Amino acid sequence: MKASLLAATAAWFALSAFASAVERGTILRSADLHASPSTNSEKVQTIDRGTELNISEQRKAGNDSWVKVSIAIPGATRNEPAREISGWLQATPVVIASAANADEVIYGEAVDSEQQAEQSGGRKGAAQDAMRLYSAVAQLFPNSPLAGEALWRSADIRHQLDKGSGKPPDDFYLNQVISRFPKTKWADLAAFDLIDTQLCGDWNGLPDCPAKEAALFENYAREHPQSPKFGEAVFNAAVRQGTVADMYRMSNDKEKSTAAHTKALALAQELAGNAAQGEWSYRAADLIYKLQQNIPLYGVSE
Amino acid sequence: MSAGKQIRWAAMVVAFFALVSCGVFAQVTDQQHGTVIAGAVMYVTPDPNAAQVARPNRGRDTWLMGKSMIDGKEWAHIMVTMSQNSFSAPKTITGWTDARLVITSATPNGDQILFGEAVQAQHEAENGRRESEEEAMRLYYRIYEYFRSSPLAPESLWHAADLEWQLEKKGVFSRPSAREMSPDARAEIDEEMMRKVMKEYPRTKWSDLAAYDLLDNKICGRWNGETKCPEKETDLFEHYAHEHAQSPKAAEALYKAAWRQAVLVDMYKADHQNDKSQKAKRRAMQIAQEISTKYPEGDWKPRAAQLTYELQQGLDISTEGHREARK
Repeated sequence: MKASLLAATAAWFALSAFASAVERGTILRSADLHASPSTNSEKVQTIDRGTELNISEQRKAGNDSWVKVSIAIPGATRNEPAREISGWLQATPVVIASAANADEVIYGEAVDSEQQAEQSGGRKGAAQDAMRLYSAVAQLFPNSPLAGEALWRSADIRHQLDKGSGKPPDDFYLNQVISRFPKTKWADLAAFDLIDTQLCGDWNGLPDCPAKEAALFENYAREHPQSPKFGEAVFNAAVRQGTVADMYRMSNDKEKSTAAHTKALALAQELAGNAAQGEWSYRAADLIYKLQQNIPLYGVSE
Repeated sequence: MSAGKQIRWAAMVVAFFALVSCGVFAQVTDQQHGTVIAGAVMYVTPDPNAAQVARPNRGRDTWLMGKSMIDGKEWAHIMVTMSQNSFSAPKTITGWTDARLVITSATPNGDQILFGEAVQAQHEAENGRRESEEEAMRLYYRIYEYFRSSPLAPESLWHAADLEWQLEKKGVFSRPSAREMSPDARAEIDEEMMRKVMKEYPRTKWSDLAAYDLLDNKICGRWNGETKCPEKETDLFEHYAHEHAQSPKAAEALYKAAWRQAVLVDMYKADHQNDKSQKAKRRAMQIAQEISTKYPEGDWKPRAAQLTYELQQGLDISTEGHREARK
C-alpha cells in the first residue's frame, strides 16, 4: 500500500516535470514522424536512429503512447543552418534522457549498429546510425562516463566514412573530441586520426613524402606518449624512415640513406622488447631484423 | 678385465657416444628448421641469374641444409615443403635463396621476428591480399613448431588454429547445407587444431578462445522459425560463459544467450505460448543482469542495458534475428 502510494507520487512528480519542461531524447529505431498522434495521420518524414529529439508532450491514443517532438534536421554541410520540423512519434522506440541507464541503452544500440555496419549484408545505413547514436550519448549525457568514448567513436566513424567516400576531410568533429576531452585517451585517438588528413596520397618514388610522414608520426608519438596509438605511430615512423633509406640508396645518396637507416633502427628499437606495446613490439623486432640485414623495405635488393 | 667384460664395456662406450652424437645431431638438425620471410626466390644455383625454382610463400616449412658465401653474399641451400593440400602429397623443393630471408630456431629473436611477420601478414590480409591469410597461419604455426619454449608459442598456436578455423568456416557456411537447421546437415569444421590448443595449453586464455570457436560446430544453420534452436543455443552459450568465466569471450557468450532468449519472447508469443514467452523474457533479463554485474567494463554492459530496455518497451528484436542465427 505504502509502496504503491510512493510510486504514484513519484510518477505524478515525473509527469508534472515532463509537462512543464521540454525533455531531450533520441530514438532507437527509425520511425515515421506524423502530423498528429495517429498512424493514419499525414507522415511528415522518416526519423533515423540516433536523431536528437526535443520532447514537449506525451499523449495516449488508443493503445499507443505518442510523444510530440521537434527535431533540428542538419543542413547538407556543417555551415548550413539546421531546419526544424515537429510532429508526433510513437513512444515505444523513444528513449528519454531521464530514463534509467539511458546513456548505456543508447550506447548499446550504437555498438549494435556499428557491429551491423561491419558485417557483410548488414543493415543499410548502420554506420550512420551508430555515428548519430554515439553522438547522442555525448550530447545528452555530457557527464556520463561513456561521453568521451561516445564522442570519439562518433567522430571516428564520420572520419572513416568521409575517407571511404573520398569526401574532403572535416576536422571539426575530431577537434571537438580534443577540446571537450583534453588529455584523455579519446583526445589521443582523435589526434591520431587527424594525421590522416596530412598524409600524401602517392609517394611517387620520392623520399620527401615518407620523410614528412615519418616526422608527423614521430611528432605524434612524442606529444602523446600515453596514447594507445603510440606503438603504431613509432612503428609507422620507423617503416617510413627505412623506406626513405632505401629510396636514397637507390639514388646513390649514401649519406642520407645511412642517416635514415640509423633513424629507422633507433625508432624500431624504442618498441622492440616493450611488452606494453603488444603486437607493435614484435613488428618492430621483425623490422629491426630486416634493417640490420639490409633487406629492402622499398625497391629491390642490391 | 675378462674378454667378455671388455666387449661389454666397449659396447657401452660405443652406445654412449652413439647416443651423444644422436643428441648433437638432433640439436643441429632441429636448429636448421624454420621458414622464409619477405618474398624469397629459390634458384637452381646460388646465383641471382640462375634459373628460378620457386617462390615459396612466407611460413612454408623450410629445412636449411647449408650456407655458402659467394661474392660477399650469403646464400642458403634450403628444402621447402611446397604443397600441402588434401588432394596432393606434400612436395619438397630444394634450391638456393638469400640467406637473410631464412629464419630458423637458431636465429636470435626468431620467434619475435616471425610473430611480427605474421601480424604484418594479417594486416595485409585485412587490406585484401588474399594469400596473406594463409601465410599468417603458417608463420604462426612455425613459431609453435620450432620455438616451443617461446612465450609466444601458445598464442601463436591459437592464432594458427583460429585462422585455419575461420577459413574453413567461411567455406562450410557458404554451402547450401549451412542453410539446413541441424548442424549435422553440414560438414564439420576440423577440430584437430583447436583441440591441440586446449590440450597443450589448458586453462589459458588461448584454450578458452579455442573452446569458444568450437561452438560453431554446434549451432544451427537456420532456425526456420522453430524455438528449439535458440533454446539449445542459449544453453550452449550460457554453459560456455559459466565454464570459462575468465575468457575474453565470456561476456559475449552471455550476451548471445540473452539475445536468443529475447528473440524467443516474440517467437513464443506468435505461437500463443505466453507462459514460455514470459519465461524467456525473465531469463533474458536475468542473463543481461549477470553481464552488467560480472562484466562492467567494455561494450557488453551497455549492450545488455539496451537489450533489457528493448524487452521492457516491447521493441521488436526478431526483426534483426536473421543476422545472428549464425554465431
